[in-house]
Amino acid sequence: MTLQRPIIWVHEEALGSRNPALLEQPDRPAIFVFDTRWIREACISRKRLGFLYESALDLPVTLRKGDVAREVIAFVERHQADGVVSSLPVDPRLERIAESIEQHCQLDLLAPEQFVDMPRPPRLGRFSRYWRDAEPVVWEGF
Amino acid sequence: MPPRPSSTSISWPEKPGDLPRDLSDRSELDRLLAEQFPEAGGRLSPLRGGRDAAEKTLSLIDPRRYTKSRNHLKGAVTGLSPYIRHGVLSLAEVRDAVFQRIRSRDEGSKLINELGWRDFWQRMWRDLGDGIYDSREELKTGHDPSSYARELPEDIRSGRTGLACMDGFQSELTTRGWLHNHARMWMAAYVVHWRKVHWKAGADWFLEHLLDGDPSSNHLSWQWVASSFSHKPYFFNKGNLERFSDGQFCRTCSSNDCCPFEGSYEQLEDQLFANQGAIRDVPARRHRNPQQRSGGRQNPKRSGQAAMARPKR
Ligand SMILES: Cc1cc2nc3c(=O)[nH]c(=O)nc-3n(C[C@H](O)[C@H](O)[C@H](O)COP(=O)(O)OP(=O)(O)OC[C@H]3O[C@@H](n4cnc5c(N)ncnc54)[C@H](O)[C@@H]3O)c2cc1C
Repeated sequence: MTLQRPIIWVHEEALGSRNPALLEQPDRPAIFVFDTRWIREACISRKRLGFLYESALDLPVTLRKGDVAREVIAFVERHQADGVVSSLPVDPRLERIAESIEQHCQLDLLAPEQFVDMPRPPRLGRFSRYWRDAEPVVWEGF
Repeated sequence: MPPRPSSTSISWPEKPGDLPRDLSDRSELDRLLAEQFPEAGGRLSPLRGGRDAAEKTLSLIDPRRYTKSRNHLKGAVTGLSPYIRHGVLSLAEVRDAVFQRIRSRDEGSKLINELGWRDFWQRMWRDLGDGIYDSREELKTGHDPSSYARELPEDIRSGRTGLACMDGFQSELTTRGWLHNHARMWMAAYVVHWRKVHWKAGADWFLEHLLDGDPSSNHLSWQWVASSFSHKPYFFNKGNLERFSDGQFCRTCSSNDCCPFEGSYEQLEDQLFANQGAIRDVPARRHRNPQQRSGGRQNPKRSGQAAMARPKR
């Protein structure tokens, strides 16, 4: 089901204008949440918080701190939204947050633009093996 | 006055508990963060976040000079990693910027290759999930894993080792939150092989400070240095460090007459590792990845864990 009135959840992997959720829904309210548990547990320094803050200020987002899933869900209610759109994360921590949000409402995760779009997933294991598959495809764009 | 953090505006009303968007300058941001996140140590980095700073950094890339000089601390590396890590710039945007600046594939292949490393580690993370936090394979150093200290020694953490290079890297790490790739490799090798500290303690410390701190690139690179994700441990000698740092540390180092990095590679190998013979020729070990990726939804098919990925030298 397509969301009619979603809010956008911007997370730490997509603090830029190419965020696919912001590109798709440029007029909807958006939120970025400082994950206080991660900051505490990983001893994240003020340097990084400043970097994240300055990057978030360049985007039309409300900034909050706390439990990310809880804050995002509260933002859904604040805007009487019918769900959440975000960009597909890689970090398992963000995936777990996405799962918590999803238990409460619909969450659409959009894949960001790829560095290399492979017809088949490349072989991993060794960089050299991956690069043998990926390099020619990357250079097709040159 | 320090420059003002830039800001776009939002078109919906603010609510109590929203963090402020209208900050007059960076010192106000510094104060705000101290108040809101008292547990987060240190001060702001001189490196700024945001789109303008990212675009300015991107405009300065020089793929040709990069090819020739990237291993030198003063070489033409891009400094883009914090912007890429947090999606301020996508890897695809950087790739296209490289394409626009080069006339032939040769001129850009090194930088494109390094961007490929970033993509590769991200794909490995998707594949391994939280498995990146555990040693992927046995160490090839000949030492028992339990013989490595679990805590980072205080003199390393506080930059008081007496080694001008390592203390210099500590200072840059903790004030700027960014280090050149070669400095990361030297520091990781020093921590793990010379000080016999478990790679995880060093990796966690880097993540506290790096603006580009990324568990996949960071932890797997530390494991590559340690040899739990490579055929053999990475180490270096004084000649290598001196050459690629233009002697900037060694010239004034108070430990110059007792430098722990002095010696040939053979001598250092004898000194640091217990099974030197084997180090040069260890067959690749493959384990299946026992971890299940927690998220799952868009997971690509889980392949057996495979090893031997390595960051650049
Ligand atoms: C012990 C250790 C820890 C590291 N931890 C991190 C980390 O937490 N986050 C991180 O982004 N990189 C990490 N790296 C990789 C690399 O050191 C940095 O990406 C690079 O130094 C960043 O500087 P730059 O932007 O000037 O890189 P450039 O050389 O200019 O390269 C351009 C971009 O390519 C990517 N890149 C280049 N080399 C690598 C590499 N070996 N691995 C992954 N991506 C690469 C980065 O996104 C970088 O911004 C680590 C390397 C080591 C040895």
